[in-house]
Amino acid sequence: MTKRTLGKTARRALIAGLVCYGAGTLPALAGDAAAGADVFKQECAECHTTKQGKNKKGPSLFGIVGRHAGSIADYNYSDALKNANWEWSEEKLHWYLSQPARQANPGTKMKYSGLDDAKQLDDLIAYLQSNH
Amino acid sequence: MPSFLTRHVARRAACAFYAIVVALLMFAHGQAHAVPAYARQTGSACADCHAGAYGPALTPYGMRFKLNGYTDTDGQGTKIPVAAQLVGSHNVPARGDSTTQLTEADVYLAGRISDHFGGFVKVATTNDGNDHFSTKLSNMDLRFVAKDLKVAGKDTIVGVSVNNSPGFDDPIAALPYASGLGPPAVSGTLLNLSSSHTLYNRVIGGGVYALYDNDWYGEIGTYNSMPTSVQDHLGFNTASDPGHLSDTGYFRFAYMKDMKRQFFSAGVVALTTKRQLPRNAPSDDITDLGYDLTYQFLGNRENIVQVAYVNILEQRDYGSTPIVNGIMAKPRGDAHDQTLSVTYTFRQSYALQVAHLVSTGTEDAARYPPFGKPDSTANMITLYWTPFGKDDSFTSLANLKLAATWYRFTRFNGAGSNIFGAPPGGPVTNAKDLDAFTLSASVAF
Repeated sequence: MTKRTLGKTARRALIAGLVCYGAGTLPALAGDAAAGADVFKQECAECHTTKQGKNKKGPSLFGIVGRHAGSIADYNYSDALKNANWEWSEEKLHWYLSQPARQANPGTKMKYSGLDDAKQLDDLIAYLQSNH
Repeated sequence: MPSFLTRHVARRAACAFYAIVVALLMFAHGQAHAVPAYARQTGSACADCHAGAYGPALTPYGMRFKLNGYTDTDGQGTKIPVAAQLVGSHNVPARGDSTTQLTEADVYLAGRISDHFGGFVKVATTNDGNDHFSTKLSNMDLRFVAKDLKVAGKDTIVGVSVNNSPGFDDPIAALPYASGLGPPAVSGTLLNLSSSHTLYNRVIGGGVYALYDNDWYGEIGTYNSMPTSVQDHLGFNTASDPGHLSDTGYFRFAYMKDMKRQFFSAGVVALTTKRQLPRNAPSDDITDLGYDLTYQFLGNRENIVQVAYVNILEQRDYGSTPIVNGIMAKPRGDAHDQTLSVTYTFRQSYALQVAHLVSTGTEDAARYPPFGKPDSTANMITLYWTPFGKDDSFTSLANLKLAATWYRFTRFNGAGSNIFGAPPGGPVTNAKDLDAFTLSASVAF
């Protein structure tokens, strides 16, 4: 009897967990941040670092997830990105990085053709999420 | 017994050889294109543009920086476009005395003037032996570039380069004047920096270049040799004057593909000119035709492999046919230079480079005594360590390179043994006697 009660509770907790997982945080949980570090070196590291306050040709990506677009004070953004009224959520990064940057944000200085490998994109975003 | 003329030519060949060895050592040590001034300007690490964080071999990102006229920036104010390099070395030749010396001290003026103007100028003070130093204008590449153009809907860059070595401005940087690597040659091509009377740094010219759709590169240009008085003022020994050039054309076309984890390129190059050497001599019609293939595995930058093969054939229509020892020189001839280089770089810090260098030419008993062959074969093996110049190293804006290099010769002047044709009982020099080992330390800041 006790066993059956515990089983129901566990099933409810599992269902509730799955609902939460599907509702909001799937991309981060799907990605492997360690693998994303390699993707970052391959795709991003020439123009960006994840060091706080260290800009290269592109701005620092430290704490990028949750940051408002064009908001690093000492980086000289394009007008296109200065005027981009969005926050870099994981979903926004997924949308932005899965296509050519100039298609996503016409007028940006960023020359990036986009990452079309879904697994690598998830891993990369998980890595960016981990840099806070 | 060899005639006076034969002995004279052989002596010239020997002098030329030792000059080539010295030049090889200098090129191997002095080629620092990972100029810290660029790192300060862009915020990038040396290793972003150079797999081994010191150069000269470029990563695809480094190629784009060069194509953009050295103008890319982190947008954080004007940086002073000056850098310096010091090189010290311990040289151990197979024959002769070992030396330890300050080999070279360089000043670089390198960086952007505006979004459209940038450049690379190197002034080198080199140790010519016995601590006798000379200062000369070394490499120069001044550029105007128009970026972000669209042609038929595709990204296009158009630029103008003014430089002093045809091919030095090449983005792929596999051609000898850009890579600093060419076979030691008795009769090398005009595009080989190890040839006697090389054009390297002794000419002025340039051309218009374009990169279309990120992949297709083309360049057309022309050059003139500097007057001997100008060469003298710029610090060059006029005995190595490349001669008077006229009707000179330089052409380059290449396909290059950057796939982030890998890169490959295939290109062709041509140089055609009429050369008078000495300047009052009849002119030789010379045409260089070459191709180059490169491949890079970059991956996550932990293990990088770079392979480059360059093959240049030079066709000569001589203006004169001198008679040497009763033999008339041929009116036409070829020179053929080939370079294969493989470099493995671990963690952008530890690298092993192996190069196979071959120079051959048309047999000509009058022009190439004593064997009538100008052929040479050599190898260069370099192991080096560059501790800095990465994003996560002590400094990303300066660097140190510690290198051990072995030069190995298996053929010179057309022979492996008795390469200068010494008579029986005379001092014999074999190709392997020209081997050398060197340890060097270079610091750039």
